Amino acid sequence: MKKLLASFVPALVLAASTGITCSAIAQTAPASTAAPAKASSALFDTFGGKVGLVKLMDDFMVRLLADTRTGPHFKPTNQHRVKEQLVDQFCFVMGGPCVYKGADMKSAHANLDITKGDFNALVEVLQQAMDAQGIAFTAQNQLLAKLAPMHRDVITVQ
Amino acid sequence: MKTLTTALLIGAAGLACTTAQADTGKLLLTGGVSSVDGSAGGGLSPWAVIGSNATTGEIGGSAFVTRTTTQDFGMNVYGAAVGIKDRVELSLARQDFDATPALALNGVAPFGVTPGQHIMMDVMGVKVKVAGDAVLDSDTLMPQIAVGLQYKSVTPGSLSSVFNFLGTKTNGTDFYVSATKLFLAQGLLVNATLRNTNANQNGLLGFGSGAPGKDSRSWVPEVSLAYLLRKNWAIGAEYRVKPNNLEDLGQAAGLGKGLAEDAWKDVFVAWAPNKNVSVTLAYADLGRIVPGVTAARNQSGYYLSAQFAF
Repeated sequence: MKKLLASFVPALVLAASTGITCSAIAQTAPASTAAPAKASSALFDTFGGKVGLVKLMDDFMVRLLADTRTGPHFKPTNQHRVKEQLVDQFCFVMGGPCVYKGADMKSAHANLDITKGDFNALVEVLQQAMDAQGIAFTAQNQLLAKLAPMHRDVITVQ
Repeated sequence: MKTLTTALLIGAAGLACTTAQADTGKLLLTGGVSSVDGSAGGGLSPWAVIGSNATTGEIGGSAFVTRTTTQDFGMNVYGAAVGIKDRVELSLARQDFDATPALALNGVAPFGVTPGQHIMMDVMGVKVKVAGDAVLDSDTLMPQIAVGLQYKSVTPGSLSSVFNFLGTKTNGTDFYVSATKLFLAQGLLVNATLRNTNANQNGLLGFGSGAPGKDSRSWVPEVSLAYLLRKNWAIGAEYRVKPNNLEDLGQAAGLGKGLAEDAWKDVFVAWAPNKNVSVTLAYADLGRIVPGVTAARNQSGYYLSAQFAF
């Protein structure tokens, strides 16, 4: 099951806080108990909870595919799976009641050519998607601050 | 130097044409704006960011024009910079300072200052990022750190006689270290720069001073704060301490505090209508600038700068 999940791990997916945390969770959380009880956070609520994140990701993926910089990275992926995982990851890093079950960021991107320009392009598209959902700029930055350190694992081309 | 500036501008324009398709990938405003000395940063201070839109593995450029006016003086600046792989920044700037009030110096001594005299200064800058990532390392307090130098060469025209009287040199080099940190969750950028310099009024009044003025170099701090209102709007403030090399010389020459120099301050708003353009409007308080010929008043006024970057 784990192997199957790993094989679907998308290009350029933004994951939970650090590679170590992600892999630790992936190892300790049984696949069957997907949503352990965890206090919801103000940021998670600002994004409209899980429903809001699903809406955000639906639009985010459309934009990622349309953007000439990010499109080539996401066209070959299982986009439905990527969106599901992004919802879980964003929910998790915001302190919402979710667990990210995908591979850690480092191994997920190890075989891909991802530059800092690619990483920044994804951030820009995410900002556009968050703008479209009417998410306040201050809340956007709180989320980005949790995602940005992943650049160390995601960027593979220095 | 003028030829160099022109060459760099043409080179930058050429790069713009050839790399127009190959998107450079910095996030909006994270390359800073062009400071008066041409280095990327705020308006008055260089920051640790590398200018242009180029990020790792890319080469980009920027060009800018700035106009600032105070009660008695005015200055136009233009210049260009090249950012190489978000690691090295090379910059050139030309400052054209309208020193018309200096005509009054002819009443102090027969200096032969001509009416409407301008002081021209060229600044050649090199900056190297040595550590950190100002934007993306949002889980640590570690800032982006850069070291830089600014070689400045000033052409005083008919004010040469005044420079000789003051014992100031017409060229000098500033060295600085800058630390820049974006507190991303708060949308707050902080920069601290420590500069080693012997410049008078940034070099526009030469470098060092005859005795009993201060001829040695000083370490002076500079601080900038910027708050992101939106991804393409920022407001902020800057404070730049400067040496006060000439005041004692002026005192000894019977000019009282006529040559005193103060810190520079500003509050600004910066706007990036798109990835290639930014506009900065500031209100600057430049303190006293040769108060002996300007009724000892503070020089304050607007500062408007436009930058094109790719």
